[in-house]
Amino acid sequence: MIAVALSLAILGCGALGSIVLARRPHAALFVSLASIVLAGIICCATAVRTLLGAASPETLSVSWPLPIGSATLALDGLSAWFLLVIGAVSTAVAVYCWDYFRASIGHEAIWAATALLNILVAAMVLTVCAGDVVLFMVGWELMSLSAFLLVGFHHRDARTRHGAWMYLIATHLGTAFGVLPVFGAFTAATGSTAFAGFAGAFDPSRAAIGAIVFFLGLVGFGTKAGLMPMHVWLPEAHPVAPSPVSALMSAVVIKMGVYGLLRLITWLPPLSRACAVAVVAIAVITGVMAILYALAQRQYKRMLAYSSVENIGIIILGIGLGMLGRATHQPILTTLGFGGALLHVLNHALFKGLLFLSAGAVLRATRVDNVERLGGIARSDPVNAGLFALGCAAICGLPPLNGFVGEFLIYAGLLHGAALNSLLVAASALVGVAALALIGGLALAGFSKLYGVMFLGEPRDAQVRAHATPPFMLAGMAMLALGCIAIAVGARPLGGALSVPLAVIAAPGLDPRAYFDAVLSPLAWVSIMSLLALGAAGALVALRRRSDRPELAVERQSTWGCGYSAPTARMQYTGSSYVWKLAQGFRSLLRPRRLVTQPEGVFATQVSLKTETADAAIALGYQPTFRAVARVCERLWPLQRGRIQQYLMYIVATLLIVFAVEAWLAPFSNESPSKVQPDTALRSSAPEGSQSGGNRSP
Amino acid sequence: MSVTRVIAAIPEAAAVIALPPLLLSIVVKTKAWFAGRVGPPWLQPYLDLYKLMNKGVVYSKTTTWVFRAGPIVNLAALLTAATLVPVLSSGSLFGFAGDVILVAYLFALGRMFTVLAALDTGSSFEGMGASREVTFGTMSEPALFLSLIVLAIGSKSLQLSEMVGSQLFAAWGTVGPAMLLVVGALLIVLLTETCRVPVDDPATHLELTMIHEVMVLDHSGPDFAYITYGAALKFLLLGSILLHAAFPHPGWPLWIDAPLRLIELVGLATVVGAIECSMARLRLNRVPLLLAGATVLGALAAVLTLTGSMR
Repeated sequence: MIAVALSLAILGCGALGSIVLARRPHAALFVSLASIVLAGIICCATAVRTLLGAASPETLSVSWPLPIGSATLALDGLSAWFLLVIGAVSTAVAVYCWDYFRASIGHEAIWAATALLNILVAAMVLTVCAGDVVLFMVGWELMSLSAFLLVGFHHRDARTRHGAWMYLIATHLGTAFGVLPVFGAFTAATGSTAFAGFAGAFDPSRAAIGAIVFFLGLVGFGTKAGLMPMHVWLPEAHPVAPSPVSALMSAVVIKMGVYGLLRLITWLPPLSRACAVAVVAIAVITGVMAILYALAQRQYKRMLAYSSVENIGIIILGIGLGMLGRATHQPILTTLGFGGALLHVLNHALFKGLLFLSAGAVLRATRVDNVERLGGIARSDPVNAGLFALGCAAICGLPPLNGFVGEFLIYAGLLHGAALNSLLVAASALVGVAALALIGGLALAGFSKLYGVMFLGEPRDAQVRAHATPPFMLAGMAMLALGCIAIAVGARPLGGALSVPLAVIAAPGLDPRAYFDAVLSPLAWVSIMSLLALGAAGALVALRRRSDRPELAVERQSTWGCGYSAPTARMQYTGSSYVWKLAQGFRSLLRPRRLVTQPEGVFATQVSLKTETADAAIALGYQPTFRAVARVCERLWPLQRGRIQQYLMYIVATLLIVFAVEAWLAPFSNESPSKVQPDTALRSSAPEGSQSGGNRSP
Repeated sequence: MSVTRVIAAIPEAAAVIALPPLLLSIVVKTKAWFAGRVGPPWLQPYLDLYKLMNKGVVYSKTTTWVFRAGPIVNLAALLTAATLVPVLSSGSLFGFAGDVILVAYLFALGRMFTVLAALDTGSSFEGMGASREVTFGTMSEPALFLSLIVLAIGSKSLQLSEMVGSQLFAAWGTVGPAMLLVVGALLIVLLTETCRVPVDDPATHLELTMIHEVMVLDHSGPDFAYITYGAALKFLLLGSILLHAAFPHPGWPLWIDAPLRLIELVGLATVVGAIECSMARLRLNRVPLLLAGATVLGALAAVLTLTGSMR
């Protein structure tokens, strides 16, 4: 536990150091990045110790100047799992940043960016390790604000400002309407702000209240995670942020929403089946719609952002499955659902971090964010291309890599659920399987397009030049890529480590460890089969080489053009045409807009075709809502005359109204203590008892 | 795994490796018979493979390592899947709960690399073929998974060799109509994934109309041998799943079981050949409807099975 505090202190020093050394940018960059690497390694080590069962859950309290809350850090299995994600990804990102930011020293205030990166990582560590509402909110808000400033780093660009503001507004709406009410409900129910007392705050018999609190949490934490329809900030904010920041946000920051949701589930009693089915439905819609939108994108970072939403859908699908297991008392579903969700959190952090970093290297080299102008980068930047290919294969859930392992658990859970003797569970599992299969297929289409159009073929635009990626950027990506491979090879031990966070989430009385061997033995098989596939590939290479005798020369020719002898790069298939057929197949969901100028006359001069796919949540949901709010607010303009006397009058009027209301309610407020005496006494005694118990235990 | 099981597995594995080109030969012979021709010799696919393995290769100047990896990864994935699929006997070499998911994703791995190898050439035709391949692959995926889920519910197992094993005998008795729908859905998936009429025509002569053949235009020599063999192996694997689901054997001894399966495979290849002769390829924009139809069949079968097993 001291280690977490230590890493927080290191990150704080890194941020301060970066600001103090602002005049010496290289030193500032080094100090701030070194602090992130150091803190990241400490976080990973602490998390691994807890996950291997070497360290038991512990808490640390220090004195706290505020009148409410307490400075309690708590580290249990669930926190440790997310701490591992934070530590692993931020270390890799920090390594990457050394070469990424060094080139722009002198042009931009790099010291500010790295100081904010330190604060962002520290805020996330604080969020997952907080043991108190107030501390959690401090971490949560610090995370939102530092991420907002980082997204808006290139603030001279209007699109960047738009994306940053959108993020800030979305995350605060989510916090105001989701997260704060949830914590308010718990604090009111227990009379304390300590997380330790929240479990069991709501009686299982009052299912409705539990459900309401849960769905408030789903809105609040779902906004941070990017659950549909609260996802709209992701495709705006991620493309405009500096690439390491997009990587960190997509890989880790949005997972804080998942953490909040899981933490909330541990406190609530098992919810009804209907709630779990609703979560599955939301997850399915999120996953399918997001990957469809991802297909239609031309900007690759935007496409990756939509793909993050899709992966959040897969994670929430696992959570929904786990909730179904909790509702129907099927520990196998709980284990597979929550286990798959947790594993996918880690997996997605690794491969999406890798993809964003790799895409960032392309963006930095070419300064082009549109796939249709790229091509052939695999020959000018082969290592980066290889890493991107690995990330694509992993995110599609292809077998010898980590993406498959997480999705395998969720699939297995859904298949188990389908065989259950409950029509509701089986039906939702069935829909889940079909949706997951469709998502898998669409992801394959989307990422083969991304890799094929960006990296393969010939450069589509002669002006766009790519060059090799600097070594530290490659090193950062390689760390994440190694993680992707290691999880696939070591799936079984990792599955064992999952039992620690699962023990926190599983419903009381159900020990997931009892089901572990039965459920996780396939994971060892998955690793073995992955190695078998690699062995088969090696054998095929050897077979080929032997037949590749010296007299059978390898010839290099240009691509066969079906008899046409002067092919140009412009004849290549474009990304849009590559996915056109799929987009047509799903046009009723995607609603693409086509703006066509038909050719006229014999020698047509003006011909154009433009297609765009607007996000339905924005076009049909948010824009009309916010316009309506703005229209209502416009009605209030007459109140705003700009005369100070008038404003003074408003203040006096407000005060008078407050007094009047107070006077009106006064008799009741005076009477109530005597009338409700027994009830309040009962209520206040319970938290006091638990508090004193809490004080005694350390 | 017992010693006898291992010894029994060796000839079966050899048979599984040797069989695929023969199925192609049967399809071609059937088509020739329908057209009133003699057709090429029975062993022609084997001779073709031998010839290709001893040829030199031509690589496009545009290509990278992905182009060379494509055929190898595809075939390696299919060979790995072959260890999990029961072909001649009712058991597979390996097996574990949930291996069916691995099989489906190994097919996806092969598809990903075939498609990327096609895009690597920078050819417009191959891009077109790749686009069609991922489109139809995506649309057939839900149908495949829904069919598999029905088999899983029917046999109460998640291991492929058990899902299509003797337990299905009982399922045919209780939810027979659902099983019939599953067989229909699996047949459409088979025709799609192996690029057969009515989805794709392997004998077409125009690049604009091809799917699978156009993706591999630039491959030559041993690479092309791997691709041809891989396509045949995929046909064998998906065909075996289909046959095991359609005709479950109630635990007969191996010397009855294996020859019977072989006859069934020959029959399936003949049926596929007959389909190719008796109907034209669908227009490309009709194919998604066919695949949606397969998905609906799978969903309907799933609903029937669920309500059937609830009773």
